[in-house]
Amino acid sequence: MSQVQGGIGIINLSAGDPSLVNEIKELGGEELLECIQCAKCAAACPMVLAGFPFFNKRVIQAILLGLRDALLDDSSIWACQSCNRCTEVCPREVNPFEIIQAMRRVAIREFALPTLAIEGLKSLYDTGHAVYLAGAGNTRAKVGLPEKPPSTLSYPEALKEVRTILENTELAELGVIPMGESGVTDSCEV
Amino acid sequence: MKRIGVFVCWCGTNIGGVVDVPQVAKAASSFPGVVLATDYKYMCSEPGQELIVQAIREHRLTRVVVAACTPRLHENTFRKTLERAGLNPYLLEIANIREQCAWAHQKQPGRATEKAISLVRRAVAKASRLEPLFASTIPVTRKALVIGGGIAGMQAALDIADAGHQVILVEREPTIGGKMAMLDKTFPTLDCSACICTPKMVAVAQHPSITLYTYAEVEKVEGYVGNFEVTIRQKARSVDHTKCTGCGTCWEKCPTRVPSEFEQGLGTRKAIYVSFPQAVPNKPVIDRRHCRYFAAGKCRVCEKVCPTGAIDYQQGDQLIKEKVGAIVMATGYDLFEWEKVYGEYGYGRYPNVITSLQFERLINASGPTGGKILRPSDGKEPQSVVFVKCVGSRDPAKGKEYCSRICCMYTAKHAHQVLEKLPGARVYVFYMDVRTAGKAYEEFYLRTLQDGAHYIRGRVSKIYPEGDRLIVRGVDTLLGRQVEVGADLVVLATAVVPSRGAAELARLVGISCDQNDFYTEAHPKLRPVEANTAGIFLAGACQGPKDIPDTVAQASAAAAKVCALFSREEMAAEPTVAQVNQFLCYGCLECQKVCPYRAIEPVTVSENAAGKKIERTVASVNSGLCQGCGACTVACKPGAINLKGFSNEQVLAEVDALCL
Repeated sequence: MSQVQGGIGIINLSAGDPSLVNEIKELGGEELLECIQCAKCAAACPMVLAGFPFFNKRVIQAILLGLRDALLDDSSIWACQSCNRCTEVCPREVNPFEIIQAMRRVAIREFALPTLAIEGLKSLYDTGHAVYLAGAGNTRAKVGLPEKPPSTLSYPEALKEVRTILENTELAELGVIPMGESGVTDSCEV
Repeated sequence: MKRIGVFVCWCGTNIGGVVDVPQVAKAASSFPGVVLATDYKYMCSEPGQELIVQAIREHRLTRVVVAACTPRLHENTFRKTLERAGLNPYLLEIANIREQCAWAHQKQPGRATEKAISLVRRAVAKASRLEPLFASTIPVTRKALVIGGGIAGMQAALDIADAGHQVILVEREPTIGGKMAMLDKTFPTLDCSACICTPKMVAVAQHPSITLYTYAEVEKVEGYVGNFEVTIRQKARSVDHTKCTGCGTCWEKCPTRVPSEFEQGLGTRKAIYVSFPQAVPNKPVIDRRHCRYFAAGKCRVCEKVCPTGAIDYQQGDQLIKEKVGAIVMATGYDLFEWEKVYGEYGYGRYPNVITSLQFERLINASGPTGGKILRPSDGKEPQSVVFVKCVGSRDPAKGKEYCSRICCMYTAKHAHQVLEKLPGARVYVFYMDVRTAGKAYEEFYLRTLQDGAHYIRGRVSKIYPEGDRLIVRGVDTLLGRQVEVGADLVVLATAVVPSRGAAELARLVGISCDQNDFYTEAHPKLRPVEANTAGIFLAGACQGPKDIPDTVAQASAAAAKVCALFSREEMAAEPTVAQVNQFLCYGCLECQKVCPYRAIEPVTVSENAAGKKIERTVASVNSGLCQGCGACTVACKPGAINLKGFSNEQVLAEVDALCL
């Protein structure tokens, strides 16, 4: 870890990147500087219970200090369950959830994302579901449901729309997942 | 036979929730001399007091016992109640059944009640031996002494003088203005400190009712409230200020440069000097310790260049005596000497580790760098500035246990100023808590966060040099990680301590200090600007760390108290003072040794013994000075001294009632 020097686990603040704050603000975390580290968000966060080192308010503190590498080297930001409780309880309207999303955007730009996230994205592109269980049809039938849910799985034209959306995001430029090569090919114009 | 009435208070549930109040009243009714015992929900309230007045009249009571809260709270209230009913106010005795029973023994209500009954029995025993006391009057000299010419002293002096009284202001430095004159901007408004301080300095100097003694110290204080006699030592300036015009030629030509106290060692001054260009008075003094003529007998340059012949090497100290009726202590603060104990921050060896007051001079337009933030070691502009809060504060191991109150705000101000003056610089603030209790203070701190200051919650464990930088090692408890940061300049927010010599001055004046040498107020909530010696008042940081708004408020409050004292030509003196039975006294003067108020003096009396006239020495109490503490009565071997209202007979009756 490049920000660790002078001893094991010591963070060198001088190596912090002051541009990270503005990057996060541009990517959706506009209210970042409003945070006073009161930790009410952390008190509502399931990531804290799960034991992740960089939960919401620590993500914010690390961003304020420009600790880009420390955040990217850790999988914490990907553990956010998007429950949005932090945003509900924040007394200063910082919107911590949006800041974590913004940090994920920073991470993706640098390809610092876990395999699980890539698989999720790929599944989203291929099936319209981030989490898709191939054997789910049987289970559904057992409880009297149609094998395919009334989603992209039942409506291929809807899947096409989802793909078009994804292809118009920065993900396509970055090439994080293969697009237009698997599944329905006619959605790829390039 | 005395007719005693006992009034037991519930104090809502404060007493009534623990002590069985009706049972206490019932028990009291059987004590000797008690003709009436009753209880009421709130005895101090208007109907409660009316109940006492009516009972005194109906039952022709001659002594009153109130069983309620501490006498510190309502003794005066009930004394006035007695007065309204036509009784001498000193025929009252209080039994404290709230603090000493209900509160102390909350978990044992039965025993609390038992103790309350005992305390009432004690009070009844004393009440039956109470005698009426009468307040005497003492004359008041309507002239005040203010010690210290910082913002507190100046404000108090101006307020008292504006009310039409004479004021003597004594300042030991060559100029008034104090610490405030050294500051750059004031939080949270960021208005310029000099712009609001220097006009006050001029107003003090020009006020017709204020006599200003600078470069002077209080040497001796005698007397008592309304009648103090003070001796002031005017230190030798070596310059005749009646001739001096303040032209400045002498300090331009003076060949000796020494570190300037006003610039906190970051700049220099001459041996003949004014502290800063806006000093009041704007006339120099010679620092004899550093002057070449006084040290080596040669030089005399200032004398040669002075166009008015004002230099006077022969000038000696002068003693001035003044009579005053009140004294305002406004001696302010100094900074904790961190370099003596903080080895982990370098014991003051690193030039780029400075105090916040030095930073004030560094950023001040009239300071040694003309307001540019330049690090002391090489005059370079720092790119990374680290602020460390609580250096000596909240640190009983190396410094002081208390919070210095002003550091959070001025550090926020400094962080803001760095980010404003040095675009692109990084600012780190290591802190334990951010305390911003004050109008518009929290908003100011949030603005500093918005400016981009990095607040890191955790103390700094170590500062060490690496190349031409300093490495600051701390922890960010918000991240849960140890951190390190390279710094070009480190600013320590050092603790506020009483100004040097504060404790000695307290002994000299006759007031008390707390364990940190801050002056003790008479009551922390209800008498915050009075010392525990009558006629002496407190203003500003000498009583405890304070920012400018609080200091000015306290100074004005002290002035209002002085004006109240000066509103009459005579004042009533508390009659509960010691009294010597000169027939029993054999003049050992043990009492004089224990008296903390210097109220006891030996006097010579002449009397006839076996047909011969003889003279002998006995003790005599100055009732103006006596504060009724009773120490002398204990020291008196023949039992010749009685404290009125607490006579030996009365106290022994109380002991008997409790123990027999």
